[in-house]
Amino acid sequence: MIELRELTKRYGDRVAVDGLSVRVQPGVVTGFLGPNGSGKSTTMRMILGLDAPDRGEALIGGVRYRDLNWPLKAVGALLDAGAFHPGRSARAHLTALAASNDIPGSRVEQALRLVGLSDAATRRAGTYSLGMRQRLGVAVALLGDPGVLLLDEPVNGLDPEGIRWIRDLLRGLAAEGRTVFVSSHLIAEMALTADRLVVIGRGRLLAETTVAELAADDDSLEDAFLRLTSQATDHRGVGAS
Amino acid sequence: MNGYGFRHAARMERIKLSSVRSTWWLATAAVVSMAAAGAGVGLGYRSHTPVATAAQILNNSLGGAIVAQLLLGALGVLMVTGEYGTGMIRSTFAAVPRRRVVLAAKVAVCGGAALTVGLVASFAGYLSGQLAIRGTAIPAASLGDPAILRAVVLTGVYLGATALIGVGIGTIVRHSGAAIGTLFGLMFVPMIVAGLFGEDGIQVGRFVPLLMLLNSIAVTSPVPGLFSGWISTLLMCGYAAVAILCGGVLLRHRDA
Repeated sequence: MIELRELTKRYGDRVAVDGLSVRVQPGVVTGFLGPNGSGKSTTMRMILGLDAPDRGEALIGGVRYRDLNWPLKAVGALLDAGAFHPGRSARAHLTALAASNDIPGSRVEQALRLVGLSDAATRRAGTYSLGMRQRLGVAVALLGDPGVLLLDEPVNGLDPEGIRWIRDLLRGLAAEGRTVFVSSHLIAEMALTADRLVVIGRGRLLAETTVAELAADDDSLEDAFLRLTSQATDHRGVGAS
Repeated sequence: MNGYGFRHAARMERIKLSSVRSTWWLATAAVVSMAAAGAGVGLGYRSHTPVATAAQILNNSLGGAIVAQLLLGALGVLMVTGEYGTGMIRSTFAAVPRRRVVLAAKVAVCGGAALTVGLVASFAGYLSGQLAIRGTAIPAASLGDPAILRAVVLTGVYLGATALIGVGIGTIVRHSGAAIGTLFGLMFVPMIVAGLFGEDGIQVGRFVPLLMLLNSIAVTSPVPGLFSGWISTLLMCGYAAVAILCGGVLLRHRDA
């Protein structure tokens, strides 16, 4: 379980995340929705201890990320599709990270197989397509067979087949009893993947709900999402005339 | 086992260091540059009059360390900034959230690797210099002579310390270009400044890395006014420690 308590982060004058309190439960896929710049990635980074909150805390199974004994065995994270050195092969990248958490080499091969990168494992990761980079990121997240998974925009850059693969993978992981927290700004995709939704705008919690509840009052889930976030977007274009 | 520790982080760093090409290029270039400088010096002195002394040949054949220090310094810098530049650092800190364990592992792995390469490079410079003067009237410099052995070994240690200064500066600056620029600046600018003081410059110059290398470390007997080779080398290690400690303090509070 992930628990955010009054999580707050400022960058200068700008408040990126503002008193966010959320519980993310195991056994279901929880979608983390919000417009661009609403604080989703900042929240994810704070959960992982990469950014320090100005106030509040993020707990995983009751402890802060930095206090985990084997972080990769507790939490698997896909932060962005570029969190690797382009000159290093996928296998070397995974082997290095595995070594840091005492994960056996056999698990590296397993993770490569799971994401379908076994045949490309010796290639330098910089030569990968965006979809393959995402798959490498997913392999890192799965490396320690963790009970909690955090994925920031995992379907970015994936083709339809890849998107379906991610969807099935995430639902399967949740069905095994894991906590799956996945961010997106694509409401339609979340409608297919997630059971529960956490919606934020300008760093604040707008709704903690289920896909069914959110769509009930409006014509479509998209309308409901746009209504919810209409007061909380930073940038908006006007229609062409 | 109750959680990860330095040993795990060091294994990760060792795999990371050996699995990028730039490591091997920089290490090879460091050895080749010293070997080439040694051979060049030796060949240049073959027909030189008056006949060169053993000390002269030794000092000059280790001159490739001027280039090698920049290459190994860059190696140290890239070990840190290469991760910030690519986003790898987030994967690293997610795997090992206690950041100073990561820094300690980088220092140990980079220090060990750079010391090894530095020693190989230094001996390569010495040997090529000796090979290049074979069959001439120039006396050979034997490693059995403690002063010769000391100069060759300390030059290798100096190179290892330079790489660690690179790790420290890389951790402070975090940007490859800026960090390598800073390192090169710190290597050369103080030497120019020391030169401006003329005769009194030695008071400052004995603390300047490049002057220590050329006049105190890579020589059989230091130029008067400079520290002994051992002290100069220790001073370099001290600079590395300061840079790494500063990096360690900043590392703790910064967002990755």
